[in-house]
Amino acid sequence: MAAGGGAAATSAHRTFSFKVVLLGEGCVGKTSLVLRYCENKFNDKHITTLQASFLTKKLNITGKRVNLAIWDTAGQERFHALGPIYYRDSNGAVLVYDVTDEDSFQKVKNWVKELRKMLGNEICLCIVGNKVDLEKERHVSVEDAEAYAESVGAKHYHTSAKLNKGIEELFLDLCKRMMETAQVDERSKGNGTSHASTGRRGVQIIDDEPQAAMPAGGCCSSG
Amino acid sequence: MSQRSERRGIHVDQSELLCKKGCGYYGNAAWQGLCSKCWREEYQRARQKQIQEDWELAEKLQREEDAAYASSHVPPSQSSLTPFSKFEEKKTNEKTRKVTTVKKFFSPSSRSNTKKESHEAKSHSPSFARRSSVETDQVSREFVDFLRSLKPGREIHKQSRAFVESMGNKKDLGADELSECVQDFYQNMSDRLLTHFKGSSEKVERVMDQVEKYIMTRLYKSMFCPETTDDEKKDLSTQHRIRALHWVTIQMLCVPVDEEIPEAADSVVKAITDIIEMDSKRVPRDKLACITSCSKHIFNAIMVTKKEPASADDFLPTLIYIVLKANPPRLQSNIQYITRFCNPSRLMSGEDGYYFTNLCCAVAFIEKLDAHSLNLSVEDFERYMCGGSGSGDESPCRRSEPPSQWLLEPLSALQDRQQRVLEEAQDLQIEIQRWQESVSREVQDIISKYPLEIKRQAAHAIDCENEENDRLPPPLQPQVFTT
Ligand SMILES: Nc1nc2c(ncn2[C@@H]2O[C@H](COP(=O)(O)OP(=O)(O)OP(=O)(O)O)[C@@H](O)[C@H]2O)c(=O)[nH]1
Ligand SMILES: [Mg+2]
Ligand SMILES: [Zn+2]
Repeated sequence: MAAGGGAAATSAHRTFSFKVVLLGEGCVGKTSLVLRYCENKFNDKHITTLQASFLTKKLNITGKRVNLAIWDTAGQERFHALGPIYYRDSNGAVLVYDVTDEDSFQKVKNWVKELRKMLGNEICLCIVGNKVDLEKERHVSVEDAEAYAESVGAKHYHTSAKLNKGIEELFLDLCKRMMETAQVDERSKGNGTSHASTGRRGVQIIDDEPQAAMPAGGCCSSG
Repeated sequence: MSQRSERRGIHVDQSELLCKKGCGYYGNAAWQGLCSKCWREEYQRARQKQIQEDWELAEKLQREEDAAYASSHVPPSQSSLTPFSKFEEKKTNEKTRKVTTVKKFFSPSSRSNTKKESHEAKSHSPSFARRSSVETDQVSREFVDFLRSLKPGREIHKQSRAFVESMGNKKDLGADELSECVQDFYQNMSDRLLTHFKGSSEKVERVMDQVEKYIMTRLYKSMFCPETTDDEKKDLSTQHRIRALHWVTIQMLCVPVDEEIPEAADSVVKAITDIIEMDSKRVPRDKLACITSCSKHIFNAIMVTKKEPASADDFLPTLIYIVLKANPPRLQSNIQYITRFCNPSRLMSGEDGYYFTNLCCAVAFIEKLDAHSLNLSVEDFERYMCGGSGSGDESPCRRSEPPSQWLLEPLSALQDRQQRVLEEAQDLQIEIQRWQESVSREVQDIISKYPLEIKRQAAHAIDCENEENDRLPPPLQPQVFTT
């Protein structure tokens, strides 16, 4: 089953499916980032895309197929409590701030805390300082941001949706990390099947792993 | 318009009230304009016919299925190394590993699979078929048609059918356990299909969609809003909650939709219709499709208004607004049903899953909504919540805005219909009561009018009618004869 970061049964034909949530304060450029990545467009008046809240991208990374689903999340304060509903079962999170806006960086820190608390180390975190084309107005220092990212086990990236800088790298890197995590996960847990079954509930929050009793050693690892 | 005002009228022309069969008695809308007697006759006839048809169809289907497989499939013994027979091997291996979950569902086939199971299926099928409605049979037929082109089709069909039957004995399980069963079944089926299709997840998805459709059409009745859950209670409380929030406006939610633009207003109406429609579907994926379609209309409404692609911060408030306006029937039950029985890969990362997640967010938001969520002062919020009518005109109530006429029309049509149903039910009740009264009154009348007279008349009549009395010879007198 190609679900929840799980993958097809045999490694030769596997397709990875990843869910990545996009988090960040309003106006930091989340929408601009994904539209640039998936449609290669920026502030285009002729954008034909109806929406930029759910976008997908198919990648081929070292011969493995990856289906990336990017979930935009409602970032307004009044929707904050809904976060867990959005990011449950996600394999990665892209936390965006605006390098000219100190507050937006503070928000990223809050998200990181929450994500780590809810999802542990299962989730790959990317912290993204966007709008680097406005370098002159920078309010968040590169050193601070990178040091912080490292301290929480996240990777840090600098991007500009306007100039199309750093975006491809960001997502490619993220995919590679998610693939690694998925593979490590499979090895430790047995197989993709058992992994998917622990995380397959779309909506109920999983408090622990009731299926832990599942015997180790699965059909995929034999192949 | 005229049609609507007519519908609003409570009382109708006398002639319209008479039985459509022209028998002279009063008809009733609940009986399609017939009187009770004519209705019963009609209904019985139709019902009988339907039962007959169902039965014939079911039998025909059975034959078709068997014939289809007999003709389009190599007997399993012949090519023992077809990918699907590998399934069987693998499955047995798997079985030893995941005894607990797998055994329950695949045990009949994992041993001497073909013979034993087909017997079992046959012996179950009559009662099974009788239960199924025409719709179910339609789905069943489509399933067979779909599987016909697939090599492992027969096996898939068997497994699915055996599973549905096995679930028949599990009705008293809790909802979570039922969900577990169905999810395990999906999991096993798709794992095996992945091996068969060499990892082509698209193909597997396509098959799994059909499997889900087949299974859930049959299981819907017992699995939707099961009695073991409090789904129904939650439905009611959500419904009340939404009703209590009727005063929430598009501005309070910051919805980026301008309903003065006809196209936007039109999309809003369509979105509302779609989300209401969800309740009428049986298959989880079909329900999801309603949510997706609703979402697409929302995006259109936003696009028409903002002229730029909608982000989640545009979409979610609009969806909340749509849910508040639609007050979709059995919302919680539907969400739970989808969560429990939908193919998980759809919910987790697919597009449908995204919209579904947003719907869950919308419902969570509505449940928790407070003054802060709407940028209102606590006092204002309280005032709206208890009554709201107190502030009447000053509240920017949507009813006062002319553009929302677009939206109000179908809503008020629905309201009308509901009103009408209620009225008719009341009428019916009154009518039954009146009828009861009139019957007993008539009986009373008759009793009081002709109490003993009847007997007397009858006795009298015997004499009266005997007109020839006089002409009869006088009664014989006893005579004494002497010898
Ligand atoms: N100079 C510059 N401006 C950018 C960049 N990325 C986004 N913007 C601008 O920032 C503004 C907000 O961008 P969005 O993409 O709408 O931001 P968002 O995070 O999606 O905002 P919300 O949807 O409100 O949460 C827009 O005017 C963009 O043109 C960038 O890399 N450089
Ligand atoms: Mg945005
Ligand atoms: Zn009649």
